[in-house]
Amino acid sequence: MYALEVRNLKKTYQNFTLGELSFSVETGQIAGLIGRNGAGKSTTLKSIMRLISSEGMVQVFGKDFAREENTVKGLIGYVGGGFRFYPNKSLAAVARTFSRFYPHWDGEVFRRCCDAYALLPTKRIRELSEGMRIKFSLALALSHGAKLLLLDEPTSGLDPLSREEFCDTILSLREQGVTVLFSTHITSDLLRVADKIVYLSEGTLLADEPLDALLKRYRLGLFPSMREAEAARAIGVKAVKEGFEGLIENSLEGREATLDEIMIHLEWERRKVYEIAYK
Amino acid sequence: MKSLISKEFSLCLHPMSVVFLSFAALVFVPNYPYEVIFFFSGLSVFFTAMAARENGDLAFTCALPVKKGEVPLARIFVTVLFQCVLLLLVAGCIAVKQTTFPVEMRVNLAANSANLAFCGFGALLLGAFNLTFFPLYYRDPNRVGVPFLIASAVQFVLIGVMVAIRHFPFYEPIASADFACYSAKLAILLGGLALYLVMTALAARLSMMRFETVDL
Repeated sequence: MYALEVRNLKKTYQNFTLGELSFSVETGQIAGLIGRNGAGKSTTLKSIMRLISSEGMVQVFGKDFAREENTVKGLIGYVGGGFRFYPNKSLAAVARTFSRFYPHWDGEVFRRCCDAYALLPTKRIRELSEGMRIKFSLALALSHGAKLLLLDEPTSGLDPLSREEFCDTILSLREQGVTVLFSTHITSDLLRVADKIVYLSEGTLLADEPLDALLKRYRLGLFPSMREAEAARAIGVKAVKEGFEGLIENSLEGREATLDEIMIHLEWERRKVYEIAYK
Repeated sequence: MKSLISKEFSLCLHPMSVVFLSFAALVFVPNYPYEVIFFFSGLSVFFTAMAARENGDLAFTCALPVKKGEVPLARIFVTVLFQCVLLLLVAGCIAVKQTTFPVEMRVNLAANSANLAFCGFGALLLGAFNLTFFPLYYRDPNRVGVPFLIASAVQFVLIGVMVAIRHFPFYEPIASADFACYSAKLAILLGGLALYLVMTALAARLSMMRFETVDL
């Protein structure tokens, strides 16, 4: 069963169009939403949450988001970056109000999260660092028993140790059957926890597949000249110190490509195709 | 909806909303345009909307398990609650004034005297504010100032008309502080309340529709 199913999601701004995107995340999966800045990751997550108006269909555990908005939102823990709301209120005051919306709120889980993340409930939001704000958002999301977590760059403000703790938390949640879709720029986090990758580029879907399959699909080839790179049908060929580098699809040549390298060369190829079309 | 209203009180409500309720006592001030009491009600809504914007309230609220359309409804419901309390306080102050003040002190030479008809006009001013402010505000919640300016301008035009009409001879008995033309004053009160309800309901409907398409 799909925890999240997105079909033909489309959002049009004056200078940017997202979609139409279609992807899904199975129950218990951890999916990474990746792409460069401005690719549409936050827009996708906000569209799923109906924070912005968009076209398309979103289903969560088989329930239509638009029709059963209350029920569906109750199943989701959404963390849109660090907690930037009500800076003058205390953590306890915000959590108290937040808890009234969730019948499955567990105060004990919240207390344990606060202890684990060193969050003092008496502190005001404005007294928290960026990392602590993210931890507070996570504590709120985890305490109401969310079955699906949508996290928008949850690790971007965290120090390495906190990121490691975050990854441990996410992995432990998977054992409890919680599904996670999180956007990030930090590919090492994805390699640590993600089962699948949803890759966006300029509002369009470049990849929606298991992480292992994506890593196996591409290898990195180094070529002495552009002609040889073209002969090998390398993707996203760009000049490097040693010659020319590009991705080779479904081949045993070259070396294993990292997720960063796959992203860079796919983006490069996309830009090249766009420039040819534009000219 | 109950949780949303509770959230409005615990996280959003600006303290001035409560302070401005005490302005109902302005009806005790001799020769004063009492209609401005209802302007302060709008000012408290403006302060709350400003604080909500600074606190990122709408983005926070819309991620909660509520329908997006219910979010403006809760804010308007709380506003109506405060406006009803204000009207009741004004009515209470008027009752005290009518029963304890001498006649010459009850007459307002600046504008309408504090009587039943005045309460009806107050309700009309509050309804006009709701109908102007909320649909404009929920079309783009990042712009709080312009909707407030427009809503206040509408209120002050209406106040101007109410103050001007008081000086016409035919209107003298209705603007009086005694029990003359009681049925006419009662009719104005009921008419004002009915218009308040219609305008506020319309404001809520328009706000809900417009907020559905807002990008947060």
